[in-house]
Amino acid sequence: MSQQTPEIYSVELSGTKDIVKTDKGDGKKYRGLKNNCLERKKKNHKEEFQKELHLDDHKLSNRELEKKYGTDIITGLSSTRAAELLARDGPNSLTPPKQTPEIVKFLKQMVGGFSVLLWVGAFLCWIAFGIEYSSNKSASLNNVYLGSVLVLVVIFTGIFAYYQEAKSTNIMSSFKKMIPQQALVIRDSEKKSIPSEQLVVGDIVEVKGGDQIPADIRVLSSQGCRVDNSSLTGESEPQPRSSEFTHENPLETKNICFYSTTCLEGTITGMVINTGDRTIIGHIASLASGVGNEKTPIAIEIEHFVHIVAGVAVSIGILFFIIAVSMNYRVLDSIIFLIGIIVANVPEGLLATVTVTLSLTAKRMAKKNCLVKNLEAVETLGSTSIICSDKTGTLTQNRMTVAHLWFDNQIFVADTSENHSNQVFDQSSRTWASLSKIITLCNRAEFKPGQENVPIMKKAVIGDASETALLKFSEVILGDVMEIRKRNRKVAEIPFNSTNKFQLSIHETDDPHDKRFLMVMKGAPERILEKCSTIMINGEEHPLDESTAKAFHTAYMELGGLGERVLGFCHLYLPAHEFPETYKFDTDAMNFPTSNLCFVGLLSMIDPPRSTVPDAVTKCRSAGIKVIMVTGDHPITAKAIAKSVGIISANSETVEDIARRLSIAVEQVNKWDAKAAVVTGMELKDMSSEQVDEILANYQEIVFARTSPQQKLIIVEGCQRQDAVVAVTGDGVNDSPALKKADIGVAMGIAGSDAAKNAADMVLLDDNFASIVTGVEEGRLIFDNLKKTIAYTLTKNIAELCPFLIYIIVGLPLPIGTITILFIDLGTDIIPSIALAYEKAESDIMNRKPRRKKKDRLVNQPLAVYSYLHIGLMQALGAFLVYFTVYAQEGFLPRSLINLRVEWEKDYVNDLEDSYGQEWTRYQRAYLEWTGYTAFFVGILVQQIADLIIRKTRRNSVFQQGLFRNKVIWVGIASQIVIGLVLSYGLGSVTALSFTMLRAQYWFVAVPHAILIWVYDEVRKLFIRLYPGSWWDKNMYY
Amino acid sequence: MVIQKEKKSCGQVVEEWKEFVWNPRTHQFMGRTGTSWAFILLFYLVFYGFLTAMFTLTMWVMLQTVSDHTPKYQDRLATPGLMIRPKTENLDVIVNVSDTESWDQHVQKLNKFLEPYNDSIQAQKNDVCRPGRYYEQPDNGVLNYPKRACQFNRTQLGNCSGIGDPTHYGYSTGQPCVFIKMNRVINFYAGANQTMNVTCAGKRPHQHRNKGRDEDAENLGNFVMFPANGNIDLMYFPYYGKKFHVNYTQPLVAVKFLNVTPNVEVNVECRINAANIATDDERDKFAGRVAFKLRINKT
Repeated sequence: MSQQTPEIYSVELSGTKDIVKTDKGDGKKYRGLKNNCLERKKKNHKEEFQKELHLDDHKLSNRELEKKYGTDIITGLSSTRAAELLARDGPNSLTPPKQTPEIVKFLKQMVGGFSVLLWVGAFLCWIAFGIEYSSNKSASLNNVYLGSVLVLVVIFTGIFAYYQEAKSTNIMSSFKKMIPQQALVIRDSEKKSIPSEQLVVGDIVEVKGGDQIPADIRVLSSQGCRVDNSSLTGESEPQPRSSEFTHENPLETKNICFYSTTCLEGTITGMVINTGDRTIIGHIASLASGVGNEKTPIAIEIEHFVHIVAGVAVSIGILFFIIAVSMNYRVLDSIIFLIGIIVANVPEGLLATVTVTLSLTAKRMAKKNCLVKNLEAVETLGSTSIICSDKTGTLTQNRMTVAHLWFDNQIFVADTSENHSNQVFDQSSRTWASLSKIITLCNRAEFKPGQENVPIMKKAVIGDASETALLKFSEVILGDVMEIRKRNRKVAEIPFNSTNKFQLSIHETDDPHDKRFLMVMKGAPERILEKCSTIMINGEEHPLDESTAKAFHTAYMELGGLGERVLGFCHLYLPAHEFPETYKFDTDAMNFPTSNLCFVGLLSMIDPPRSTVPDAVTKCRSAGIKVIMVTGDHPITAKAIAKSVGIISANSETVEDIARRLSIAVEQVNKWDAKAAVVTGMELKDMSSEQVDEILANYQEIVFARTSPQQKLIIVEGCQRQDAVVAVTGDGVNDSPALKKADIGVAMGIAGSDAAKNAADMVLLDDNFASIVTGVEEGRLIFDNLKKTIAYTLTKNIAELCPFLIYIIVGLPLPIGTITILFIDLGTDIIPSIALAYEKAESDIMNRKPRRKKKDRLVNQPLAVYSYLHIGLMQALGAFLVYFTVYAQEGFLPRSLINLRVEWEKDYVNDLEDSYGQEWTRYQRAYLEWTGYTAFFVGILVQQIADLIIRKTRRNSVFQQGLFRNKVIWVGIASQIVIGLVLSYGLGSVTALSFTMLRAQYWFVAVPHAILIWVYDEVRKLFIRLYPGSWWDKNMYY
Repeated sequence: MVIQKEKKSCGQVVEEWKEFVWNPRTHQFMGRTGTSWAFILLFYLVFYGFLTAMFTLTMWVMLQTVSDHTPKYQDRLATPGLMIRPKTENLDVIVNVSDTESWDQHVQKLNKFLEPYNDSIQAQKNDVCRPGRYYEQPDNGVLNYPKRACQFNRTQLGNCSGIGDPTHYGYSTGQPCVFIKMNRVINFYAGANQTMNVTCAGKRPHQHRNKGRDEDAENLGNFVMFPANGNIDLMYFPYYGKKFHVNYTQPLVAVKFLNVTPNVEVNVECRINAANIATDDERDKFAGRVAFKLRINKT
């Protein structure tokens, strides 16, 4: 940098140093990776970084600025120079977060999960064929087909999962509105409107009220300009902007406007000092992208489950490979067995089912205004144990609203709910009549035209937040404000400014007999009080004495203590003789009195909590979720809001509260006596991470105020160190790093900035914190239901696996073919397992604690054991019964089947004798074998129906749950039967599928076993309910 | 910082495993205490005992549905298959005339196969039946057990009977006998009351049939069949099943190939000509027919 200033202000927001520091401490593996990333990135952009970290433009004079950026304030840049700069710096837009290339996403689906096992299976098939082919040219192509089918299965499920993912991502990208912003720029001494992407450093731009600030701008001149910085700093109040240098900190100084904030009113002319990613916002955005994305809890669970199943598959496969080889089977045959075992063990359709289940829930949540960007995040909310919520816009309505009034020596409460529907305070007092008149008249805000049919609270207003609040307040209570103002014509006005700290206007009255002028004034309460000599009580003017002044101060302190912004109101009827109708008021010369006025009342405003929030917070509490408020706003306001929404409950105190109650110093209070804590960013700055941990662990109710973006990050990391699953809600750009870091980031759909939406995993379309509760509920439900789905799917794997084991060990003709297994896994079982996602909750899931990370697993030991060794085994027996029945009734009694395999499979043996002395050709046997497959298939199918019904519940009886409440289950059962019928009777003649037309009665052979499964499971659940905590409960509840 | 858990040293892992296998503090073996193990073993003993009982019961019930002498369904066996003896690997009959060992195993097999056909045994066990008629032995309400079988004497096989045959069924001279038999099917009235016989021809396998001249017919040369014309008499039918038709003797047709072109592989197909046996099943290549390869190697 060419200009060296002694004090270069380092923008704390970048915060990279802090992160690196925290990272070094905990030696987690992935953290290390992230570290590397950061380091690499840092090296690349080292120089740029230096420049970014320091911002001193606010201290420079206009001339110095012109010199620095090679521009001219009057004529602007030349087009050629601008083009050069554009080429050098790139367009003025944020680089979108690096997307994983689509092909990589696709390939990930192809090798993720069980796919690897299936690839191995496919390759083994081809290798087996290769070996066979090399020794015998006429080797059958069966293995090639099987291999190809396996590959097809992998590709098919991969494409499916990819499609599902892409679909949910698309919802999001349609969400980003890409309206190109225009900017008014002076170039070549001409005013031009160009797309703001083409802005370069040194451009002179003009911004007017309502526009978005197109880049980081140093203000050169301004007129009554206020900007909304809430997305950057979390302050809901508009900030004035002018060309004066007021603060060392570039974030606090008045002469800099930041990219993506909005100019609410007034106009600014300014010089662009940073564009695109080098803006403060861009910087925060890059901070967000530097934060590594954590794996979602459900992804961890599914990975864990895949490991279990793959482990079982591989170990059984290898075990039986060894057994087969030592039983003198040919290695080639052993390889084929291995393939069979792998295929039988891997629930091919399950991952696709899980994806569908998740996206179904995502759809359901979208209907309830939770838009899920990342499918896996659907469940994350359910396991959330801490919610770090932003205040402004999430907990609050993000608009100033009149909360309290003080007149007649009394505090009145105004309705702050979303629609202001019932204002219950006493409106009969004549003081109120005067006060309401001041509120109505001493106000410059106006509704934008053309919104007659919009409810008052939703109407757009020209004017600042407080005036808007007052306008809407009076409109609701008094009716048409514009009409009232018309009747009381304004003759003179002094708008609010920071030196006066008051606003004044003079009106004619609407009483035709009263020729006096009415002067109304509002402003900072203490200033207003100074100007008053009387006070209105019950419509009568009383002299302002000590006691009334004291009452005023008490009220003022009380309202202030609620974190509310207080305004004072007074008026004066100008005597008609001194100020006749024709009197010319001159606001510069102030030819009218501004003292000895009559004080009328106080009015306090706050950004009120949304009406649904307190209930939602209570629900979170009972669901065992800790709600922490993290805000950039003032501690007092933050605490007041926290109290009103229940984040700090009514009876809990902070250390400061205790100190005040006992009238002792804060330091003397035992800090663990307090249940709640309000921690400011300043305090947080000096804390070690151990101290942060201590606070997070020990206080139940915590509010963090005045926090910076990377402090939010620290808080989130602190929560995650407690092994909590952390949800972060937020809307501003300043929230985006924390949103990204959180296990689940929840952005606000209406108020949220694009950066926040980008960083988040979920978007609340109605900006309503209460929607999170719905999300939690859905998330917990989906976790329970996924358990059921997986248990259902795993069960039949044993029934599919046993045939192979028996085939190898006992030498029966193969009971079920590999292709047939695929028809179960990817055919009959798919819809039923999805149907379980529609199951209602068994009990009130919002009354239990969030599940413990890595302890309450999706697939736990009881689930695997119960599915594999109990129900699965019963199912295998039932299916074998059908198989044996078919063979016995065709002539092969069970005993004759033992060790028949070798002869059975010899192609040239065409006179194999059965139990009755009849002789069978190879084809006749093959057909019988296929009938056996079909029989085994039907056996599994029938028992899977029972399995589906028992999986509806885990603890309650199926009858308590309601057999018919979930209609989709019955759709699933119907689909199972229909697919089975079609396969057997429709495609029974297609040899390659090895299905045959099965005699109708074989469909009923396994029914007793199916009933047994149902009864057994009911008994299991009964004992679990009867003896909670018992040995049975521990071992049988999954 | 506070937590250091992701990376475990190898020693720690071993230590954890050790503790998992035997935890001295809690007296847990593989994560369970002794009583817990006892419980779980007892449970599985009872549970699996129950399952076994259940399965046995259902199997027993199922076996009650099948009868002892006829299978419940025979839909798969509508067309009996044909098969040859000697039963060789891939049905290749390869004879190296000069190499005794190459055919001796066939001869051994045939000797054993034909032993029950010895006239003495037949005379002793079986009836002389009237040719040209089914030998029906209906139960008529009373179980007719055991059922009698008709004689098929080895001598009916003429030059292929192997009795006092120095040429060992012709194998030593390069004029081998191959025996054709039809698969047994219970209660099957083969031929539908009309005479039936087996015919053989040199015929290349299906997939090569349209390529060039059919040399197999030429290479096969002449052959004779025993009984004459390859006839199979109706009296050997119906078959009543292993348990009831105790001494059932399956009728045979012997084919003696007289002058097969040596050192060439010859494809032979034999089929049965019977009114109720289709021999053109596309899928089952052995329905009513049998195809085999014949190769006589002479130096």
